[in-house]
Amino acid sequence: MAELATTSLNAVDSASRQVATALPLALYLHFPWCVRKCPYCDFNSHSARGEIDETAYVDALIRDLEFELREPEPRALGSIFMGGGTPSLFSGVAIARVLREVQRRIAFAPEIEITLEANPGTADAQNFREYRAAGVNRLSIGVQSFDDAQLRRLGRIHAGDEAIRAFETARNAGFDNINLDLMFALPQQTIEQALRDVQQAIALAPEHLSYYQLTLEPNTEFAAHPPPLPDDDAAWAIQQQGQALLAEHGYAQYEISAYARAGHECRHNRNYWEFGDYLGIGAGAHSKRTYAGGIDARAHGKRSFGNESRANGTLEIVRRARHKHPRNYLQTAGSVAAIQEERSVSAAELPFEFTMNALRLNEGFQPAAFEIRTGLPIAALEAGLNLARRDGLIETNAQNLRASEFGRAHLNALLRGFM
Amino acid sequence: MKQTDVNQSLIRNFSIIAHIDHGKSTLADRFIQLCGGLEAREMQAQVLDNNPIERERGITIKAQAVSLNYKAHDGKIYQLNLIDTPGHVDFSYEVSRSLAACEGALLVVDASQGVEAQSVANCYTALEQKLEVLTVLNKIDLQNAEPDRVAQEIEDIIGIEATDALRISAKTGLGVPEVLEEVVRRLPPPKGDPDAPLQALIVDSWFDNYLGVVSLIRVVNGRIQKGQKIRVISTGKDYEVTILGVHSPKRVIKNSLETGEVGFLVAGIKDIYGAPVGDTLTEASRASVDQLPGFRKVQPRVFAGMFPVDADDFEDFRESLQKLRLNDSALQFEPENSTALGFGFRIGFLGMLHMEIVQERLEREYNLNLITTAPSVVYEIELNGGEIRKIDNPSDLPEPGAYADVREPIILCRLLMPQTYVGAVMQLCMEKRGVQKNLRYHGNQVQLEVEMPLAEVVLDFFDRLKSVSRGFASFEYEFLRFQTAPLVKLDVLVNGDKVDALATIVHRDAAYNRGRDLCERMQEVIHRQMFDVAIQAAIGAKIISRSTVKALRKDVTAKCYGGDVSRKRKLLDKQKEGKKRMKQVGAVEIPQEAFLAVLGVDRRN
Repeated sequence: MAELATTSLNAVDSASRQVATALPLALYLHFPWCVRKCPYCDFNSHSARGEIDETAYVDALIRDLEFELREPEPRALGSIFMGGGTPSLFSGVAIARVLREVQRRIAFAPEIEITLEANPGTADAQNFREYRAAGVNRLSIGVQSFDDAQLRRLGRIHAGDEAIRAFETARNAGFDNINLDLMFALPQQTIEQALRDVQQAIALAPEHLSYYQLTLEPNTEFAAHPPPLPDDDAAWAIQQQGQALLAEHGYAQYEISAYARAGHECRHNRNYWEFGDYLGIGAGAHSKRTYAGGIDARAHGKRSFGNESRANGTLEIVRRARHKHPRNYLQTAGSVAAIQEERSVSAAELPFEFTMNALRLNEGFQPAAFEIRTGLPIAALEAGLNLARRDGLIETNAQNLRASEFGRAHLNALLRGFM
Repeated sequence: MKQTDVNQSLIRNFSIIAHIDHGKSTLADRFIQLCGGLEAREMQAQVLDNNPIERERGITIKAQAVSLNYKAHDGKIYQLNLIDTPGHVDFSYEVSRSLAACEGALLVVDASQGVEAQSVANCYTALEQKLEVLTVLNKIDLQNAEPDRVAQEIEDIIGIEATDALRISAKTGLGVPEVLEEVVRRLPPPKGDPDAPLQALIVDSWFDNYLGVVSLIRVVNGRIQKGQKIRVISTGKDYEVTILGVHSPKRVIKNSLETGEVGFLVAGIKDIYGAPVGDTLTEASRASVDQLPGFRKVQPRVFAGMFPVDADDFEDFRESLQKLRLNDSALQFEPENSTALGFGFRIGFLGMLHMEIVQERLEREYNLNLITTAPSVVYEIELNGGEIRKIDNPSDLPEPGAYADVREPIILCRLLMPQTYVGAVMQLCMEKRGVQKNLRYHGNQVQLEVEMPLAEVVLDFFDRLKSVSRGFASFEYEFLRFQTAPLVKLDVLVNGDKVDALATIVHRDAAYNRGRDLCERMQEVIHRQMFDVAIQAAIGAKIISRSTVKALRKDVTAKCYGGDVSRKRKLLDKQKEGKKRMKQVGAVEIPQEAFLAVLGVDRRN
């Protein structure tokens, strides 16, 4: 890993803040509309009533990006992820314009990964071709299940065969890097039904699979009216056998819910888990940016950082979230008014924030990576690591600290040790 | 300003004795209403005194006594001091304390329900203290009111004249003015010598964060004045009176309290032991008076360990207990060290309700997070050498063979219930190892006297009694003696480790069932964790029952991307908050409920 750039230790003016150039940078673009909201979904999505004003939203994204870039950003983007909501509700023309305008303002790394999320119910051959032509090189299709009855229960707008057609459409449009989202432990799902979904997904031979358990999230329809879900033991059995099937067919698990054929891990998501930086543009999107110079350099600041003292004072990590509601966002994008929350992560919070990401990866992390990305000495993790070792939740492999198999099953318990 | 001369013959000090829901508060409100109108017209000068307390912000003075001015039919204005009494079996000692400040009492009975054991006991206390008791039949507006039958019941059970009892409805106001007239006519005015040196009884004391100690006092002889130097007899310490007053129910500041009056006092007493309840105040310059007769001495009967979940709270916990003890003289505590729960206190209570109230106050008012162990009674142990020891903590019971005899406290329970429920109540008492001593019929009401081990009452007797009698049975009890019984210590092991705070002392015949129930309940309340948790019940080295809390398969968030940090933190924060109510014993997290599982009491809070 490259040495940290700490050029401007004495900078006091926020305009001259320097980002820590050693950290990779990604861009997330949020598209907040769906045909309709799924009852399990807790992402920032809103039912699109009538036509979406694509032009107005793309304009807002560009203004917002310019605002985010008022602080100089010398880094090139390693990846772009267009998520939602349902980005595939946007036309190929609109997506092409977004990517063009982004590239005019910030450099793309040579091998940039550009993902777009598509709903099988909105799969359109011409749009898919245009996405591909615009530079999108990875498609993530929200299949969830191939079982029609399950899809209805999940409130999805598509049927099982539509998911298969959407995949074929994507291949025909030239996508050679495709992810399928698949859920398990669905309402009343048997182990056979769950495995049938996995087999069907494998039969399509995507490069990547996100295979994750349906959980009831607060403030969703399912949380208010919980469906009958398989119990802990049944869900565990489904997961074990699903994972075995995936492994058998060359899909290696590299994160709690992510599986890929060799060389096809999602670079964009890996960047979150490796505690890299990202710009989050769009309604409700979150940015994380790391600045060289640390908190002392911003002593003039408007924010109060409490009493926590930073171990070496060389880094400041800032999280920033945009307003979630599209109407509000459209009105304010491009100005500071679009920012709903901005906070500097305190040294006390960093061990948790880093590990909650890095320990999701099967490979874990190198102690040096923790120091470089948080600016804290590895000793800051000692208390949590000791607890985790006592309970057999963590292990050392080569140079990496990683969650044991047991620790991956009880990651929340492991992470509480770092709070 | 000059205080109105107080005419002792125009003072009436009294309490209301009533069962919960029999209408005590409603009646008191009626009194205030009836007297308040007069106050507004005629007593303004007194009410609107420049009140130094009211200028201060955020103070609270408990209104445990209300002083009312009542214009009677004879045209005179009487000062009626109504002193509050609690109505639960645990607090009979407080009743005796309040009654000691009175010359009379109103026995208020619901004419649709009849007498109830607690009122009977409190009424006896009033009679023992030579108070004049007026009987009032309330709720006669109800369709099912049976005032004649209830009057007869009162005569039968309590043995006081009730044929001329006042018949009223506190709800509609019917008959209430007549009650006030009778109070004035039939209750005696306070005796006492206004020229004698001051002798005042501390009826209650409480700690106010702003003022320090505030006391409710009854002037028995002499007078007390603002600025006066007074002495607390038991401590011999002198203080200067800074504030005197009464509640009308608004606070009214006075320059003095005269012989026979009841009011509150602030005297710069900062130390919480400075004004013990039941003590006597006198003048520093004429301090040769005697202590007034103390109140009935009360012994805590139920003991439980309380431990701060966070060990750093121990000192706060100690301070809070000291403050609570100021207005709760029955509260006793001493440090306890548990291997499972760390440093805490062994606390003595009057009963289960008292225990719950103390715990709630500690948690709400003092913001402490506590684990409470199952309550235990006091046992008397005779060691092999003949030495007698009292133990209030089950884990202190020596191993079998190390003692010659163990004796448990036996109480006399007096129960009152309608005839229909006699069978069910008697069966319950037998199940609780009760021995019937007496059974009397008074019309439809039945009075049952049973000797019973106190330990059985602590367990779940009260709830069971209410349940088998649909709420109609009532009881009160008094301590009789210690008595030999075949008792054993039931230990609980969690993952092989003995948890001292979970030990209980049980009757040998009940040990197996109790062990099985305990293992089952523990299995219900201990959350599934990362590991299997084995729960075992044992007598000595012998395991008599076991259960297992199966390990949770997984506890992990399925999805986590760039925007999920704060959401996820909140979730885990919440989980962590939940764990604050748990105690880590070895690698196992044990929730508060588990320590009370032995009671079968659901205490989710």
